[in-house]
Amino acid sequence: MCYIEAVATHLNLTHDIKEVVPDATLRRRMSRIVKMATATAFECTGGVPGIAELDAIVTATGLGCLADSERFLEQIHRTDGQMLNPTPFIQSTFNTVGAQIALLAGNHCYNMTYVHRGRSFESALTDAMLQLKEGDACRVLAGAFDESTPTQHHIMERMGFWRGAEDGEGAVFTLLTATATSNSIARISKVEFLPSPLSERQCREKYAAGSGTRVWRSLDKTVYPCCSAMRFAKAVEEIRKGAPEVVVYNDYFGKEPTIIVLQCL
Amino acid sequence: MRIAVSGMGIVSSLGIGVEANMVAIGREESGIVSESRFLPVSLAVPVGEVPFSNEELALRAGVGEYCVYSRTALLGILAVQEALADSGEGKSLRTGLVSGTSVGGMDRTEIFYADYLADPERGRLREVAMHDCAASTLAIVRHCGIEGYTTTVSTACSSAANAVLTAARLIRCGIADRMVAGGTEALSLFTLGGFGSLMILDKQPCRPFDADRAGLNLGEGAGYIVLQREDTLQKEPYAYLAGGANANDAYHQTASSASGEGCYKAMSDTLRKVGVAADKIDYVNAHGTGTPNNDLSESRALCRLFANKVPPFSSTKGFTGHTLAAAGGMEAVFSVQALHRGVICPNLNFSRPIEETGLIPVTERREAPLHYVLSNSLGFGGNCTSLLFSKD
Amino acid sequence: MESLIRELKEHLIRELNLEDITAEDIDSKAPLFGEEGLGLDSIDALEIILILEKHYGIKLQNSAEAKPVFYSVETLAGYIAKNRR
Repeated sequence: MCYIEAVATHLNLTHDIKEVVPDATLRRRMSRIVKMATATAFECTGGVPGIAELDAIVTATGLGCLADSERFLEQIHRTDGQMLNPTPFIQSTFNTVGAQIALLAGNHCYNMTYVHRGRSFESALTDAMLQLKEGDACRVLAGAFDESTPTQHHIMERMGFWRGAEDGEGAVFTLLTATATSNSIARISKVEFLPSPLSERQCREKYAAGSGTRVWRSLDKTVYPCCSAMRFAKAVEEIRKGAPEVVVYNDYFGKEPTIIVLQCL
Repeated sequence: MRIAVSGMGIVSSLGIGVEANMVAIGREESGIVSESRFLPVSLAVPVGEVPFSNEELALRAGVGEYCVYSRTALLGILAVQEALADSGEGKSLRTGLVSGTSVGGMDRTEIFYADYLADPERGRLREVAMHDCAASTLAIVRHCGIEGYTTTVSTACSSAANAVLTAARLIRCGIADRMVAGGTEALSLFTLGGFGSLMILDKQPCRPFDADRAGLNLGEGAGYIVLQREDTLQKEPYAYLAGGANANDAYHQTASSASGEGCYKAMSDTLRKVGVAADKIDYVNAHGTGTPNNDLSESRALCRLFANKVPPFSSTKGFTGHTLAAAGGMEAVFSVQALHRGVICPNLNFSRPIEETGLIPVTERREAPLHYVLSNSLGFGGNCTSLLFSKD
Repeated sequence: MESLIRELKEHLIRELNLEDITAEDIDSKAPLFGEEGLGLDSIDALEIILILEKHYGIKLQNSAEAKPVFYSVETLAGYIAKNRR
């Protein structure tokens, strides 16, 4: 159990990247996804002072900074590993976004990145909630991001993934606290990894507290490793609009199912 | 609640298994060779390569003669198999896995990519099917019969140490009774090219903490420990995980701060949380990669924490190379072995101390009763983690 | 020399991804690294080593040699003029 104080997605950014990252040296190396995710984290925390107050930063990504990984791979093959530009290699690491957020505000706190495919965001939420529970942290920023690239899309198309599913990308961050504050908007009552898939009816039977509970099992056709984070953000919005409880069921192409249960205060 | 270390598994350039590794270390035989035997393109730099082909690894792991697994997965399977067998029967226990990796199945992806670049309709898809970081973790749980909470972390060179922290938290909070934690890493053109582009690969065997150190040697391997709630133990444990902490240097994307702030904070937070005074630490298994920047930064953090009474310390990277995401797992094994056997692993290739700090690592195998051992893992993105192991 | 300086500035802008900066904005005598000049860092230094190698066939090995050479666009251009192949 923990409380949600804020949620931001890349779709509702109000700050330009130059405001978010005034340091040109830091900014000019950032790829599109790193800029997008960092700006989303900034939006969620209300900027540098909010980041400086965090006790933990936990990020999640299924495929990481793909465009930079591809750029570096391409260079390796074109040059036989000689005369490589270091920038895409440096920026390709999965913890780049978490590190950039810490760098922005000089925050030395716990910093972690989970990369477990469709369960990346849920792993990050679990870590955040356990830290809040153990009293190691009072304010935790948890977030997820994934980018789509033409290469990844094409390779997955060749693998046959896009029959009945659509590719996507996004960045979502949420600010979590151990106790309710005057700014709390909802609470997370459960995050679970399920041993096997559940139908919508089974989800309702097992997780819904009452008849007013919304159960979201197949909200849309979009599939990317951290797409559950976007559904989580939508569910928080649903609570804000008056829903008492939302159960979000997610899986990645039918595998590794998870549950997130959100409740009103 | 005390969390015990009940099992260990390791694969490194020194060999497969804890025994082979400890024998090589006892003889002061390094696993670093002048160049890779198995990479498709030779980059003519020394590496700590596991001396078996993928086919040989697959055979030993019992995953079939022909196997499409990434080397990352194969190394991980071998080490986790050993760790679980060492830990003993645990059918009634909820056992999970937290595994660290830095680039997932990149070793296969780059084979695919060579063909793909020539023609986007070419490249065997099974070569790229294990690209993401979760793929090696899922292959490990499938082959080792792990059914509990499983996840993957990637915080560059501190990945495995962070996996240990997460695993311990999952046990403390009741999500699992027993957790396998560590990391796996295969040599790849991607990481070799990457560290080459940063100009921090030594063309000679690496010289951690030496005044003339000129960079690191990349290595590969896997290292995992089994953590277990004390009341579920079926045998005498090797040691206990007293605690640990994760801190961020928040200085630069790749370089460590001159003062070693992140490393200092990870170590000092660990001691504060556990409630152990700095003078109780008997040995530090340092990160010590051999790069000018890391070793000076870490030395300064050590001097600051221990107020210039730095306990015996060494880097084992002269034996294994820097195995990135696996380093924290392999060094957790070396740290626990040090406690269990009462032996400090020597730091190879050292001749002259760094001028700024004058620190001299342990350079010969040394027997000593050890009670508290600290293990450091420091990574890109300022990710710093310290683990503290204790005898009881 | 003027054309080499201009060419070098354009390489720097492109390879270091210097946003919103034109060749005219770069003072040839100002320091490349540190606070008062362009504010480049150690990663940029690696990228500049690559520019020297790729475009001018110059292999710089030790960093002690590099320091005065990397001071400004002018010092870099001077070094290139002397050592290019």
